[in-house]
Amino acid sequence: MIEALSVVLSQAQATGGAPALEPQAAAAIAVGLAAIATGYAQRGIGSAAVGAVAEDSDNLISGLIFTAIPETLIIIAFVTIFIVG
Amino acid sequence: MSATGSSNPEYVNARVRSRRAALFAEEDYRKLVRMGTGEIARYMEETEYETEMNELGARHSGVDLIEYALNRNLAKNFEDLLDWADGELHNLIANYLRKFDAWNAKTAIRGAYSGASPDEIQTDFIRAGEFDDELLDSLANAGSIEEIVELLDGTIFEEGLEAAFEDFEDQDVLVPLENAIDKTFYEHLLDDVNTITLNPNSPKGLYVEVLQAEIDFRNVRNALRLSRTGTDLDPEEYYIEGGKLFKEGELRQLVGSFDDLVEYIRDSPYGEDLSNALADLSEAESLSAFEQALDAALLEYSDTLSHSHPISICSALSYILAKEREIENVRAIARGREVGLSVDEIETELVVI
Repeated sequence: MIEALSVVLSQAQATGGAPALEPQAAAAIAVGLAAIATGYAQRGIGSAAVGAVAEDSDNLISGLIFTAIPETLIIIAFVTIFIVG
Repeated sequence: MSATGSSNPEYVNARVRSRRAALFAEEDYRKLVRMGTGEIARYMEETEYETEMNELGARHSGVDLIEYALNRNLAKNFEDLLDWADGELHNLIANYLRKFDAWNAKTAIRGAYSGASPDEIQTDFIRAGEFDDELLDSLANAGSIEEIVELLDGTIFEEGLEAAFEDFEDQDVLVPLENAIDKTFYEHLLDDVNTITLNPNSPKGLYVEVLQAEIDFRNVRNALRLSRTGTDLDPEEYYIEGGKLFKEGELRQLVGSFDDLVEYIRDSPYGEDLSNALADLSEAESLSAFEQALDAALLEYSDTLSHSHPISICSALSYILAKEREIENVRAIARGREVGLSVDEIETELVVI
């Protein structure tokens, strides 16, 4: 990820005057990173939720809610698109 | 599932915690101690134990039914645990569950010694360890202790048993054999873990701490028993390595004097947890109350760890200990009711936290 960024940066510098990273590109990176973070958080929560539901299906609702909580990360990151767009 | 891949403590933790919550609580025990064996069996049919009770109900009855259902349920639960766990977690749990290999080996030896039939031995096995069905079947069918020792060649118990078998042939008592099995089990518990380089605050370090506590308590129990009965058995033979409390060589001196031994335990890191029990011990005649206190202390300790480190093996370990305790409690109640002990007497045998 960081290597890709530096490649983008050096290409941008090579072309001269233009900013290192277009705002839209930066927003895209922000959304992408947030998506990875969401996935990472949901990995643990999801497996715990599946375990809890397997033991007792009454846990389904709370399991779903807890699994969905990290979605807030990606939703907030989504806002950046509208800010730069 | 398997020993490969990475650990999945989140999944195991969620399932184990749910089962831990479903174990009998204090009020269940309060009801159970007032029931007859038939009622206990009926009560168990409405809980966790339903499948086992129905399976075994046709063949057994009374206390035997309860006991076999308990054993079978225990085995099923622990097999599940191994099914869920992956990677390192699986290895650590499997190591701990060798406890039941030790139990099965001892059952087979006792059975052969007392001349029980293969069927009787089979029903007393708890099929939760590493031994496969084939090995267990041949253990049950082996007619003599010598055959059993031969069958156990190639398992972890091989080494200690061979030396112990010579003792057994000399004296014709089972103690050296059983002791060798227990010792081997505890000494292999810490096999995969390097205790020297381990960070004591990491989850694995805490796991080691629970195991060390268990070994220490086992040593304390043996030492107190030896000291109280005043036998001339050599305490060093019963010493299990791997604990923190006693060093090899110390035990012989301490067992000589009961008061010194109690004082030594009081000054140890466990002194605080056990202080009440130790005070009782100095006055009380029987050791059993103190032994219950040791069990309760270990349960509480492992519970605390499972709460502070949910993403580790600690919760699985605390579940194993709690489940075993439940089995022992229900068995004590059923057996106690059968021989007509009073409610108070049975209650002193229970360990409830």
